[in-house]
Amino acid sequence: MTVPSTEEFRSQLVAWLDDNDLTPPDDQSLSGHVRQFARVQRALYDAGWSRYGWPEHAGGLGGPAMLRAIVGEEVVGRRLAEPGPYSMLEVLAPTMIDYAPAELAAEMVPKLLCGEEQWCQGFSEPGSGSDLASLTTRAVQRGDQWIINGQKVWTSFAQYSHRCILLTRTGDADTSNHEAITAFFVDLDTPGITVRPLRTMHDVDEFCEVYFDDVAVDASRMLGKPGDGWRLAMDLLPYERSTCFWQRIAYLYSRFDALIDEVKRQGQSVDSDLGEAYLALHTLRCRSRATQRRLADGHKLGPDTSIDKVLLAGAEQRLYDTARDLLPGAIELDDTEWRTEFLYSRAATIYGGTAEVQRNIIARRLLDLGKE
Amino acid sequence: MDPESLELLEAGLRKTMLSTSGAELDAALADLGWADMLSDMPDLAIPLVFRLLGETGSHASVLNDVLLETIGGLPGGTPPMPYAGGGWVVWERTGTSDTTLGGLPLRRVPDGELMRVGEARRATGWWLVGSARAMLALARQHALDRVQFGRPIAAFQAVRHRLAETLVAIEGAEATLSLPGTDSPDLTAMLAKAAAGKAALTAARHCQQVLGGIGFTAEHDLHHHVKRALVLDGLLGSSRELTRKAGAGLRARGSAPRLASL
Repeated sequence: MTVPSTEEFRSQLVAWLDDNDLTPPDDQSLSGHVRQFARVQRALYDAGWSRYGWPEHAGGLGGPAMLRAIVGEEVVGRRLAEPGPYSMLEVLAPTMIDYAPAELAAEMVPKLLCGEEQWCQGFSEPGSGSDLASLTTRAVQRGDQWIINGQKVWTSFAQYSHRCILLTRTGDADTSNHEAITAFFVDLDTPGITVRPLRTMHDVDEFCEVYFDDVAVDASRMLGKPGDGWRLAMDLLPYERSTCFWQRIAYLYSRFDALIDEVKRQGQSVDSDLGEAYLALHTLRCRSRATQRRLADGHKLGPDTSIDKVLLAGAEQRLYDTARDLLPGAIELDDTEWRTEFLYSRAATIYGGTAEVQRNIIARRLLDLGKE
Repeated sequence: MDPESLELLEAGLRKTMLSTSGAELDAALADLGWADMLSDMPDLAIPLVFRLLGETGSHASVLNDVLLETIGGLPGGTPPMPYAGGGWVVWERTGTSDTTLGGLPLRRVPDGELMRVGEARRATGWWLVGSARAMLALARQHALDRVQFGRPIAAFQAVRHRLAETLVAIEGAEATLSLPGTDSPDLTAMLAKAAAGKAALTAARHCQQVLGGIGFTAEHDLHHHVKRALVLDGLLGSSRELTRKAGAGLRARGSAPRLASL
């Protein structure tokens, strides 16, 4: 299989997208977004586009991960799919490929890539947010099965998902937190699982509570070995913060274009605010580009991606603050996309590791300031 | 240039800059082959030399050379450079200024000619980022050394977060400076200078605060870097002005250029 250069790849993809109309239907509901994403994935998979950048042993066509970032940028940048459902794929497929038994990954990953399934990530719990390692959902071995009890929260898209990558506690009280956690790949139709979407302030019920009540999972569904769960969670960050960030950035640029278009007739009074938002987005994009080039050159990404995360959250909030400033009343009085997005952007400094946790990591690991 | 030679060059430049400044440093840089470096390998020489000027707190009139290289001017000249607020300055090659903050030999002149300043903005951006790194290094060391309430102040989250925020600004600015400006060199350089100026001002604010009283004294080095950052932010357009100018460009164009691509 010959893999095209990134530039050839992009121009061929763009030509294909021009010829194959995947414009979403006029349905702004969350289930509409999820359906549209599945439709886009199916088409991209059949044409091969969404298989590049994934290993051949997991249903892909090989080539560098950067090809995925390009597909994400073009698809999300054109608003063919929303970044939310798409981001789960970028985070969870690599985790499966790295940690699942080879035959399980070969069976399952293509289902995700082709849009047949949606997966979710069961990490946070009511008592374990920033302090994720304190999680208490328990898995106990019984024969060749594990019995799971507990509760997850903030599980995005669980109500649409077929499977969940779930973190559980398997170690006893004497095991350190970071060695007591084990991950499983769980079918969400297993008896004993209840999914309940949370109502949120922006009226998009993406986040769910997921309850596990004596849920039996085969030992063959363990990801890695007992105690590998914390490492799995940490290893997932570089994916979240490279290819996945790149498509979010493409999305923010497309929204910024829309904002510029709406305010360009207001004259020079908007220049400073537009410039500030642009500088924040441009800085983020340059940083993310550098991060992905480092990844492509074989560097291992680590705490340095906390900088990308702080820049992303800051740029996102700056963009929507600018929208509120330059479109007075649009968020408060008119029911537009800006309202939902402005409200959602308030969470950017909370999800995926709060801004404070990121700064703690930067202080400890990058600036070497010692313990608090 | 291989990594080893580059390391040697950097070490040599740093040592020179730590021992001399001003006209003397200009002479030393000339001996080290600055003119050839600038014409043969500007993409390596400019970031290196200007970042080191910032990190060491030294100064030389090499920004003139970058401008002359761009406009094809005669070596040794001092072309008037735009300064914030519509002013103009020249960077004297000899002597010091009586009036410019922090001792850079800048002198106001009534007028100048419009010219391409992209490369010079990028160079100044590297200098600003170097100054910001110098401030961060001083504040970091102070936070580890200074004990209050029975522990180093680096143990306090409020202090740690200011330093983390400074590093975020610096790393972000470096990413904008490192972006090759192939398609839109002027806009790329303008944004990079804006990001660098902003990062240096952020560093100045946070590091000054972390250093507390000692950072306000002349015996501590911080003030040199703070003053350098203030002066260089204004040179060739301040962060605030360049940001506004970039915004005006967006309004005229009707969309936001994606300058960085994979």
